[in-house]
Amino acid sequence: MTLFLQQFVNGIALGSVYSLVALGLTLVYGVLKVPNFAHGALYMAGAYVTYVMLTSFGASYMVAMAVSIAVLAVLGGSMEWLVFRRLEGKSPVHAMIAALGMLFFMEGTADVIWGPTFRQVPSPFNDVVTLLGVSITEQRILVIVAAVAVMVGLYLLLKRTLVGMSIEAMAQDREGALLVGIDTRRVALLTFAISGVLAAAAGSLIAPLLLVFPNMGELIILKAFVIVILGGMGSVPGAILGGYLLALAETMAGTYVSFAFSELIAFALLVLVLVVRPTGLFEKGV
Amino acid sequence: MMRGDSVGRRTLRLGGVLVLGTVVFLSGCAGGESGGGTDDGLEVVNIGFIGPLSGGAAYYGRNVQRGIMMAADEIAEGGGFEVDGRMVRFEIVSLDDRYLPYETATAARRLLQQNQTPVILVPHAGGIRVVQEMNTREPKFLLAAYSSEPSILEAGNPLTLMLPPRFDGYQQPWVEIMMERFGKRLALLPTTTAYGKAWTEAVSVEWSRQGGTLGRDHGVDYNTTTDFTGAVSRALADEPDVLFIGGPSQPTALVIRAAREQGFEGGFIIMDQAKFMEMLTIVPMEALEGAIGVYPQETYPTPGAPLFAERYYERFGDDFQSPTSEVAINYQGIRLIAQAMHLAGTTTDPEAIRAHAGEAARTLPDEYRIFEMDGVTETGHLVRAVFSAHVVDGEFVALRIPAPTSAPSH
Repeated sequence: MTLFLQQFVNGIALGSVYSLVALGLTLVYGVLKVPNFAHGALYMAGAYVTYVMLTSFGASYMVAMAVSIAVLAVLGGSMEWLVFRRLEGKSPVHAMIAALGMLFFMEGTADVIWGPTFRQVPSPFNDVVTLLGVSITEQRILVIVAAVAVMVGLYLLLKRTLVGMSIEAMAQDREGALLVGIDTRRVALLTFAISGVLAAAAGSLIAPLLLVFPNMGELIILKAFVIVILGGMGSVPGAILGGYLLALAETMAGTYVSFAFSELIAFALLVLVLVVRPTGLFEKGV
Repeated sequence: MMRGDSVGRRTLRLGGVLVLGTVVFLSGCAGGESGGGTDDGLEVVNIGFIGPLSGGAAYYGRNVQRGIMMAADEIAEGGGFEVDGRMVRFEIVSLDDRYLPYETATAARRLLQQNQTPVILVPHAGGIRVVQEMNTREPKFLLAAYSSEPSILEAGNPLTLMLPPRFDGYQQPWVEIMMERFGKRLALLPTTTAYGKAWTEAVSVEWSRQGGTLGRDHGVDYNTTTDFTGAVSRALADEPDVLFIGGPSQPTALVIRAAREQGFEGGFIIMDQAKFMEMLTIVPMEALEGAIGVYPQETYPTPGAPLFAERYYERFGDDFQSPTSEVAINYQGIRLIAQAMHLAGTTTDPEAIRAHAGEAARTLPDEYRIFEMDGVTETGHLVRAVFSAHVVDGEFVALRIPAPTSAPSH
């Protein structure tokens, strides 16, 4: 029972990580129908900015995260402005190749600047909390809580603000949004900026738990794609639920079957969902 | 969702194919230039290096490459070495295989056609096995193998020179020490590569042979796992006294950290792929208490090791990452090959170079000799003194590993 509880907590922590990354991906997909592979690179860049702020500028963890969020908002926005805007109206294959190109370009840039070395982001939250035989580090608690906060924040933004409503409107019907006077270009730019913010938050929160290196985004972006398909492409609640679901499935399968098969089981789950419910668990957009 | 839905999913699937294609394409064209001119009046001999220079294992590949380049640069700066009356230097031609054996084969063919390399160094067992299928056919070449997998000697390949110690020498003394210090229950949490599986098999057999109890294998792929906590929780549920772990150094350190966070106080048997100095960049020394693994290169208990470390820091700067055995052993390998060419009087005949490798190991000048080498076995293994380290009260205690004399058993 203790093992089950421990693994449940581990699964929720991992699920928070997955959901944070998947959220930015699904948001961009919902609005622009671009499978943004470069989202993994944004996540990586977010982790590096936090790392640099902490180690080279001696900033506190929260300040480092704030700077990372600001930088990535600009980076995400400029990605739309410099690349995807110019591919508007072209075949989706163009946007996809551009996204892949951005992924490799950013990984290459990180490699040139920081080298392939694995880096460790120091965190002030290293203590371990033990309750009912279940142990968890403060950083993981922070990740779980912050993930919920980010999700609530995103929900409020989408439902309660004009910007959010324009994003939703555009996700539902691009031409319709244009007809009622929404500046779709501005909304596209904003969506990318928000996805940058989400990537930075994810990268900064997760970095102290894992290692920071140029290819770190590749591993997690694959999982994020599984989650986005699992949850319904473009669906925000789908990405959140899908993230927790995939992480719990992996952890529990690992515990009670074998960790060697945990990825296999995760992807089998994906196939199952696609067969039973091809639109994903939540088919409504955003 | 919306109208674009099915199109979207098709797009995504196409995306997957594209990712794959791009990866394959990129790995094909990365890196490498052919041997240059002879401005310095030295004859240039191309030496091939095929290893992971991009992707997740790039860190490892570039450590190996750094050792090779350092040897080649030192040789050139020192005016080259003499072969049959000519002065020769090495030009290293590096190709990226992203750790994929089939890419290693493609790269090897390219090196042979374009750069006429008499020697190719490969730093992973999968690639080595593939290249062993090629190197005895024309054009023949010497394969310098950097992998501790004993099975690469089993191939009976006459043109293989295996540089690092075989990993099957470690289990017997390590198991004995750890069982004595911590107890008889072992849980397994190794990486699941082919190398990891061979190691796991060897340590399991030895642990049982010495009368210990084994938990189930909870291995995970260290290169693709994002979070080790779940796997660690599962392994610790076996209530082990000792954990068997290992893969690349930094993920291995994350496993150690997760185990300590979850209250594990026992010892660690760490596969030879992971290096203490690299793990210490992630976890403090306290976390490593009771761990047993390969001896840190920088302070290796041989006269040549500190001298090598000095030259290494002189070249790369005092703040540069610690020289690991990846750097040192491959540096030594290139020095050894230069000496073997000198003794053989040829830079192009791989059989003659291989035939003189044993003598080269014994006659290599002290200043370039990092390890105490005694020769090369019939099967092509470099014989040398091997030390491992056991962390006791925050200090590395050296332990000499007896050379495995028997034929590899697995």
